[in-house]
Order: sequence, then structure tokens, then C-alpha cells
Amino acid sequence: MSDTGSASVLDRRPPASADGGVDMIQLLTPEGERVLGGTAADYVHYLDELTHDDLRGLYRDLVLVRRVDQEATALQRQGELGIWVSLLGQEASQIGCGRAMRRQDYAFPGYREHGIAWCRGIDPMELIGLFRGVDKGAWDPNAHNFHGYTIVIGNQVLLGVGYAMGVQRDGAVGTGDPDRDTAVVAFMGDGATAQGDVNEGFVFAAVNDSPIVFFCQNNQWAISEPNTRQTRIPIYRRADGFGFPGVRVDGNDVLAVYAVTRAMLDRARSGEGPSLIEAYTYRMGAHTTSDDPTKYRFAAEVEMWKLRDPIARFKAWLGHEGIADGAFFASVEEQADELAARLRAETVGMPDPEVGDIFEHVYVEPHRQVDDHYDQLRDYLDSFADEDGE
Amino acid sequence: MAVKEFKLPDPGEGLLEAEIVEWKVAVGDQVKVNDIVVEVETAKSLVELPIPWAGTVVALLAEVGQEVAVGTPIIQIDDGSGDSGAQAPGSRAGSEEGSAGRERAGSGSGASDSEEEPVKLLVGSGPKAEGTRRRARRVLAATEGVPDVAAAPAEPTEPAGRPGRPEPSSEPAAAPAQPAPTPEQTRALAKPPVRKLAKDLGVDLDTIAGSGAGGIVTRSDVESAAVARGAEPDRSGPAHPSSSLDSSVQRGTLGAPPEGVNSRGETRTPIKSVRKVTAQAMVASAFTAPHVTEWITVDVTETMRLVERLKADREFRDVKVTPLLILAKAMCLAVRRNPQINAAWDEAAQEIAVKHYVNLGIAAATPRGLMVPNIKDADLLSLRELAEAISTLTATAREGRTPPADMAGGTITITNVGVFGVDTGTPILNPGEAAIMAFGVIRKQPWVVTEDGVDAIAIRHVTTLGLSFDHRLVDGELGSRYLADVAALLEDPGRALVWG
Amino acid sequence: MAATRTTIAKALNAGLRRAMDRDPKVILTGEDIGKLGGVFRITEHLQKDFGEDRVIDAPLAESGIVGTAIGMALRGYRPVVEIQFDGFVYPGFDQIVSQLAKLHSRSRGHLKVPVVVRIPMGGGIGAVEHHSESNEAYFAHTLGLKVVFCSNPEDAYWMIQQAIECDDPVIFYEPKRRYHEKGEVDLEATEAPRGLFEARLLSEGADLTLAAYGPMVKTCMDAANAAATEGRSLEVIDLRSVSPLDIDALTTSVEKTRRLVVVHEASEFCGFGAEIAAAVTERCFYHLEAPVLRVTGYNAPYPASRLEEHFLPDLDRVLDAVDRSFAY
Repeated sequence: MSDTGSASVLDRRPPASADGGVDMIQLLTPEGERVLGGTAADYVHYLDELTHDDLRGLYRDLVLVRRVDQEATALQRQGELGIWVSLLGQEASQIGCGRAMRRQDYAFPGYREHGIAWCRGIDPMELIGLFRGVDKGAWDPNAHNFHGYTIVIGNQVLLGVGYAMGVQRDGAVGTGDPDRDTAVVAFMGDGATAQGDVNEGFVFAAVNDSPIVFFCQNNQWAISEPNTRQTRIPIYRRADGFGFPGVRVDGNDVLAVYAVTRAMLDRARSGEGPSLIEAYTYRMGAHTTSDDPTKYRFAAEVEMWKLRDPIARFKAWLGHEGIADGAFFASVEEQADELAARLRAETVGMPDPEVGDIFEHVYVEPHRQVDDHYDQLRDYLDSFADEDGE
Repeated sequence: MAVKEFKLPDPGEGLLEAEIVEWKVAVGDQVKVNDIVVEVETAKSLVELPIPWAGTVVALLAEVGQEVAVGTPIIQIDDGSGDSGAQAPGSRAGSEEGSAGRERAGSGSGASDSEEEPVKLLVGSGPKAEGTRRRARRVLAATEGVPDVAAAPAEPTEPAGRPGRPEPSSEPAAAPAQPAPTPEQTRALAKPPVRKLAKDLGVDLDTIAGSGAGGIVTRSDVESAAVARGAEPDRSGPAHPSSSLDSSVQRGTLGAPPEGVNSRGETRTPIKSVRKVTAQAMVASAFTAPHVTEWITVDVTETMRLVERLKADREFRDVKVTPLLILAKAMCLAVRRNPQINAAWDEAAQEIAVKHYVNLGIAAATPRGLMVPNIKDADLLSLRELAEAISTLTATAREGRTPPADMAGGTITITNVGVFGVDTGTPILNPGEAAIMAFGVIRKQPWVVTEDGVDAIAIRHVTTLGLSFDHRLVDGELGSRYLADVAALLEDPGRALVWG
Repeated sequence: MAATRTTIAKALNAGLRRAMDRDPKVILTGEDIGKLGGVFRITEHLQKDFGEDRVIDAPLAESGIVGTAIGMALRGYRPVVEIQFDGFVYPGFDQIVSQLAKLHSRSRGHLKVPVVVRIPMGGGIGAVEHHSESNEAYFAHTLGLKVVFCSNPEDAYWMIQQAIECDDPVIFYEPKRRYHEKGEVDLEATEAPRGLFEARLLSEGADLTLAAYGPMVKTCMDAANAAATEGRSLEVIDLRSVSPLDIDALTTSVEKTRRLVVVHEASEFCGFGAEIAAAVTERCFYHLEAPVLRVTGYNAPYPASRLEEHFLPDLDRVLDAVDRSFAY
């Protein structure tokens, strides 16, 4: 491990506590044992609706999403992607939340929610273009009810609140029809909670009683800055100040995340207004492939969180309960290998974008100065003797 | 054996080189896709590199501790397939440069210095290497003003049908957009420096037919018009001392008034427009034709008396009569007696052209400079007609309205230095002519007059004529005779009757 | 044709009302626009008639107002945002340039954000700081946005409706010093007299072109009338749209008159006049008999109100520029 600089600075930072505190909702321990009683009691009934198929499906989701993430990281290291934003360690937060959402619910992600994208039916290849530099996230948001990735941190929260305000005006809240009542989930990280837009989003959602769940994945690190630089109070308790409920859930426990998210989505859909879920988890990898976390955190901390791995605990539980066996686990590995191979082949073969992409869709209706420049660039490129561009 | 080479990739961190820290595999090892094969160090952090293929390690191409540039092959894998190939084309720049290494992006230093560690960027692949050589452009049919090696920028194309615009060209690298002349275009098109030039020269831009594309008036159009038309309105202020041309040619100021005396105690005026054109003509003349100048001092008292009589004469009452008029007539008559002097040396055709007409040039002093309009067929004009022609010529020149035609075709010229009180000079030939007469000041001077064989000193009007001629075609005898004939006529205007 | 004589403020109100009548998806949001009807009364009575769901009194948070408006647009609505004063648009600047301008291209056309951001702009009202800004250059420079100015009641009435109908995001500037100036509007017409982005030739002239938008249009018309008494024939163009710029209207005029003076309240340095000067010079190089001149606010922050008459262009400064143009 490399020298991480000023020792005194790091000494002042407590290690990211794996103990989420007494308020943290947990249904499955890191060892894979079901938690009974306590705060879990309010949520455990949501598990009743999950069949064994559903549970095995959750496991498959977790493994495949991780596998995609690992393959994309490797592809980046091989020069096929310009950057990759890894969700390693956060799979349960995203699968648990994503599988709790209904078809008509709408997600406003940041840029790490590949697990939510997976749940919304977006093929992993549709994410690749953004990271390869081919596009800026070009899937059709309305086809999946999953908004494009937003890189300006926090912007998406206001968009989500506005969307929810639109849902209200559509009358799609509190009708009792489970396929019509719509909730919005706005995703953010721990760092985002300091951003003005996020706080304004809380204000607007609160005063409007909007049907929105604010889902914060607290992975303990905003690039190099820990929670103590973003908030003085645990994130879930900030909701209180804005006037709506906040709950912390063990983000590495897919069952708890599922249950809590179901509960808060129901709240929103029934017209009871916004809520904040803080999924307490850990960013096992770097902020992005351009980041070097050894510069600001201790390896020991990472090791500690490895012991709380979301997939390992769930696999252990599924095995104990007889819900899944070795053959199933092996078949999931096979599927993961196939998925990874397809991702690799399609990424490597992805064609470069056309020059026209610069100018098309800047506006819906024509714009003289854009059109002039499109013509200009075309003529300019035509003027070269060689065929191949740069 | 299908050997694939894995080159050190640019893993999106602005990485330009890395040090091999540890090989995780050895030759002969079997590897799966994404197995970590090597650990490299870059900017003080370790990066593990996964291999993109499955197969057998054939060779390790770099040693532990070695600094390797991005794009350098570091390991060879036999993937067991039929074809060998380089790294997949999707890779970034790392795959393009090969073992040639790559110029350090953004700096001109060579790749050898490894002391400076590049700062890892948080986002993006870092500065891309920019080309240092120019891509070849397609060569077009030469358009006006555009060099063959098309370096001109492509113009924005406009949709067809817009009035006054050129048709949209799919021709790349055409000349900068030039406006098509609209039918009702009565006002000139010209770029700002040309407009200023026209203004400075007192030339009305709208009366000039432009020779540029689309009717654009060019700088040379304006200069030609100015030379043709002569002066602009008189400028107030002192005439500036001219440059060092040693000539009796009338001089004038030229160009915009100097901005002011510069720090070295000089006033500098750029050489341009009329002065430039004039200078070029003079140089051409002076250094092409061997000039010889002869002088004759002559008693012109009779001419002066004639002038007084004509002034009082009813027929000449509304026209200006001066000694210059008499000289002009004398020169025409003398040409008739010495036709060979009214000629030109045509170097290009290698011929001497003797003109059978006299287009008499009168050098006009203007504040803009020397202009030499000529009177066509001066030898066919009566004295009165000649007087009118001289008046018109002078007035027109002063107003800057001399048509270009009047400036061309002269055959012999008078330059009147006498108005400045100068005795005489060594005039420089007007290009295309073989003789030029400097007409000096007429002064009252003591003169020896012989009457009835008795010599006496009398006060007479005396002047000096100076004739320069092109010695290639005018020898001393011809020149002398001509000069003498002119002088004789001024001395005794009645001689004109004798010579017819 | 029944022409009503009305003010810009009332024309905007009527235009908003008509838009809301015709399309139930049109929603207004902003500070104090509901009960109060807006600090300039532009949205007067609209909440009473259309309800609180369609005329929203928003929290005091411009980024939130703009961001939630975008979110509503994503849900299919046509939000019209009112920014209370030009100087207060900046907290919303990030949402405008990072999201509003870019969502359509970022999503490769999948998403449309037909949001109108109304901004009362400009000075000359004796206000305190931040209430007299001209910030159109920032938004014109952000491709993805369209930027327009109404200068008279008829344009106010029609342009606000056209902006609402436009599927692109529009920054809609209103000259607040002119809010209560009157003009003729045919409130019964069913079609707008001209396109939203077309420049308009207000008066023909032969000697020189004055180009302006928003509050300076009237100033230029006054200057042209004064110049006429001095024997100078000035052509006045109301640009109406800053992005896209109707460059053809400008070049057609300049090819005729050979001289151009641009007038705007914003500071000269990097102001929109610079774009006009560069674009016109490039296209009309051989026609121009003088450089394109700009009459603008000075290169300094907008001053305290007792100095604003020195800062802002007025008739005399416009005619001074005309004189300078003719001196070339």
C-alpha cells in the first residue's frame, strides 16, 4: 500500500463505521442470518410477497450486475472505455430498491445506478456508450422510466421532484390503483446531500407533498471526503428538518432494502408525501477508474467491509434456507460469464459516432447558427484528400 | 501460432508511461480473459492490468523496473486462433502508435524524461496528442486569390436562392464568400483599406469599375484611377519636402499627412499610391533610357510682347495666354521640322516608333504629385484651341478629374519649372517618350543686343530651356537642332510664319 | 380587426391566459405569481381563474423553481417559469445551462423540455442592485436554449404564446421599463403576425441600420425620428430573437445601407453586439463603409440608480454613434 500522505489528516478521520447504529433497518446479518424483531418488524411483512423464484432472481441480479461492473472495469483498464464508475459493494442497495419499484414508477439516477438500470430493463450495453465516449447516455428514458445519467451532482433530484409534481397534476397519486399510482425515486450519494439542489428538492417535495422517495446510497465516501465533511447529523435524520420521514437501512442487505423501499414507495403512491431512505453501504472500489483511493483511506477499512459483502451473505442465506443450491449458483456464474463475454465483444466492436451527432438534436426546431455550422464542418471534412478522418 | 500483442494501454488517466512493478504471470502460463498479468506504477499508484484475451503467455516484453511508454507492447499471448493481430482497434491512442512511442501530449519534450510524473486526471483520458503535421487538402481549381495548396478556410454555405448570395458550393476550400453583384448595385464594393485609400486620394469609389470578383473595387483599381485623374481637392497645409529625387519635375505631397514626428526626429510617410506609381515610372524611365540634357538660354522678349498683344486681342480675351502657350506651339512646330524626336524606343518590339501626331504632355503640379496629362493632336490645333486645351487640361488635372485616356499616349512633354522661379533642370523623360522640355523662369536680365551691328546691353526677358532626350534614338545633332528650333521660335515668333 | 390599445404587461397577461386556455398542460410557476399576481402583475388573476395547481406560488429558490419546472416538462407539462428579476436568475443558472439546454441533445432527441423562462430585464427604473441586469449573452452563448425579446405589446402578446408552443426551451426577456408603455394589439386575431424568431424591419432607411432588441428598440425608433429631422435616413431593425439570430435580415439591411450600429443595455465587452459585429462584418465586408459600432452599457457593473442614465444608451448616444459611423 502506498504512502497516503499526511498522516495527521487521516488520523482525524474515524474509520467508516460498519455499525449503522440502532436505527438501521436490517433483515439479514452479514453472516446470512435473518434478523427477527426490533425495527425490522415494521418491514418484514413485505418479504412475504417474495416467492422463491423472486429470491433466486434477486441473487441472479446481484451477481450479474457485479459481473458487468467487473468486466467494465477491466475494459476500462484495457483502453476500451474512457472511464467506468464502479458500483462494487453497492449491489444490494440498488437491486433491493430497483426490484421494489413498479413499472410506472420513475427513477432519476445519478451516474452509478447501473443496478437500477438493470432492474428497469436497460441492457448493460446501453450504458456503455456514455463511458466509452460515444454518447451521453442515449437510452430512451420514457421507454424504461429511467432518466439519463446526471453528472452535475444533485441536479437530478430537482428534476425528480418536478416530475413528481407532474404526477400529482396527472392525478396519479392516491387512486388506490396499484398500476396507476406513481412514485418517483430520486437517487443521490452522501456527498450530494450537501448540494443546494438536493436541499431545494427536499423543500419543494415537502411543501408540495410530492410522491417521491429520496434514495441516498451512503457509500461513506464522496471521492476522498467522508461523511463528516458533508453532514453533522446522520443523513437519514436530515429529513426531519424538512418535515418528512427518514430511515436508514443496511444497504448491503437486499431484503431490508427491498422491504424499506416498498414501504416508502407505498407511502408516496398513496399521497402521504416524500421520504428519505439512507442505504448504508460502502464503495468498495474507487470513485471512478481515474481515482486512487489508497491516497485517502485505509486498506483496513476496505477489508472490514469485505466481511459485510452483500452477495456473500445473501448466498449463504439462500443456501441455508434451501432456496437455492449449487447447481443454481453455478448456472448463475455461467450466465455471468456469458453476459461478460457479450459485453466485451459488443464494447470492443462499438462503432464511433457520426460527426452529425454534434449537431443533431441540439434543438427540436431548426436553429440557423447550428445548421450553418453543421454545413461548415461537413464542407471542411470534405476538403481533405485522405478518406480516413482522425 | 496466433500471437497477440498487448500494448500498455492509456487507461484513461492521462497516463503517458508506467513502470513495470511486478509480472503476475510467466512465459508458458495459461491465462483467462481479464486475468491480471502485470502491476504497473503510475503517478504513485499501482494499477493492475487485466489481459483481454485467453491463451498462453508467449513472451514478456518488458522488465521489472522498466519505464514503458503508453502504446508499447508489453506481453505476447498466443490465443490459439488462426490469425495473429494487434490489439483490437477500439483501444484508444495506445494502440495506434505502436512501439514508436508517443510524443508527450501537450509538451514538446521527448519521451525520455521520466523525472516528471504526469498528474493523474480524475476524468477523461487526458490531453490527446495533437497532430504536428498538416493533413493534405484536396487541390481545387484555382480561384482568385486562393493559392493552389488550398489553405483557405471553407466558407459557410448558404441555402440556394437567397438574393445576392453565391450559390451554395459543395466545393470545399473556396475563396472567402464574395458577393454577387446585384442588378441595382450602384454603390461600390470594397474592403475597408481600399475605401480609405480612395478617400485619401479623393477618388469617388462609386465611379470606379471594380476588377475584383463580383465587381469588387481593388486597391490597384483605385490607384490607377487616381493616377489617371490626378489631384484631389487641395490640401491645406504646407507642401512637404519631397524625397531625394534629383529632378526638376514638379513635386507634391503624397498620402496622408504624417502622423507626427517620430522619436528619431523623422517624419515617415509610407510609400504608396500615386507617389509609388510615379516613382516606379521615373525609375523605369531614368534607368532604361540614357538621358542627355542640353540647355539653351534664349531672349524671349518678343514672345513676351506677343503674349501681351494676344491678351489684349479680342479673339483671346476669354482664354488664358501665357508664355507656356507659345512654347507649346513652338514645340509642335519644331517637331514638324524634326520629326524623329517625336518618337519612342520600343524595347519589347525592338523598334523605334516615330509618331506622326503630337500628343503634347504638360506636367501638372498637384499636391498629390506629378501628373502628366497630354493634349491630343496638339499640332493640329490653332493657337486659340491650344490655349483652351491647356486651360482645360490644367483645371481638370487640379480637380482630379483627368480621364485615364488623357494620361496615356503622350509623345513629347513640357515641364514648367519656371513657375517656381527655377532656371532649368534635367528632366526625366515621361516613359514612352523620347524628349522632354524643361521651361524655366523668365527673368529680366541684361542681354547683349546687336542693332545695326552695334552691341549694347539691354534689359531683356531671358529664359533657359532644358531638353532631355533619349540618347538611344535621339542623337546629339537631332536633339540640338530641335532645341535650337524651339529657342528660335521663342526668340522670334515670326519665324513660325517662315516655317509654316 | 379589433385593435386594442394596451400595455406590454397586460398583453403578456392576455397572452398567458390565452395559452393556458388553449392547452391544459401549460403551468405557471414562480415567486409571488399566484395570490399577488407577480410583482409586475403580469400573472394577475390567473391563479384565481386557473387554480393553484396551474399557477404555483413556488418556494424562494430559483434553482428549485427551474429544476422542478424541467421535471414537470419531462412529465408532459409546459411550464412557464417567472424569474422575479433578471439579477435573480443566477441561482437557476446551473439548471438552465446544465439541464434545460442539454437534455434534448443529451438524450439524442428522446426528451423534450418545452419550458419558458420569463425574465423581466433591463434598467431605467431607478432600482437597487440586481434589478436592472441584461444577461442575455450568457444564455445566447449556451446552445440548446433559444432567447427572445419582446419590445412592444403586440409582440408581447404573440411571442409569449409562441414561446410556450415552441418545443425548445425559451428564455423570454421582457423589457421591464417598457411594461406600461402602450401599443395596438389585435386580441381577436387567431394567427401571429410573424414568426417567433424573425427580426422585424420597423422603419426603412437608406443611410444606416440601427439594430436593437427589447428596451432599446424604442430608443432606436426615437433616434431614427430625430435623425430624420437632420436629414439622415436610418433603418431600424427589431431583432426580436437573439438566439437564433436572424442574420439574413441584418445582412440584407447592411448591404443596402452599408453602416450598422447595434444598441443594447448590456455591457459592450463580450456583449451580444460583438457577435452581431463579427457575423455582419464577415458577411458584408465589402459592403461596409464603416465598422459596426456598438452603443451599449459601459464596461462596468450596473451602477447605482442615480448614475444609470449615464450608463444606459439613450437617443443622444445612439445618434453620436451614427455620427461617428458617418465620419468614416
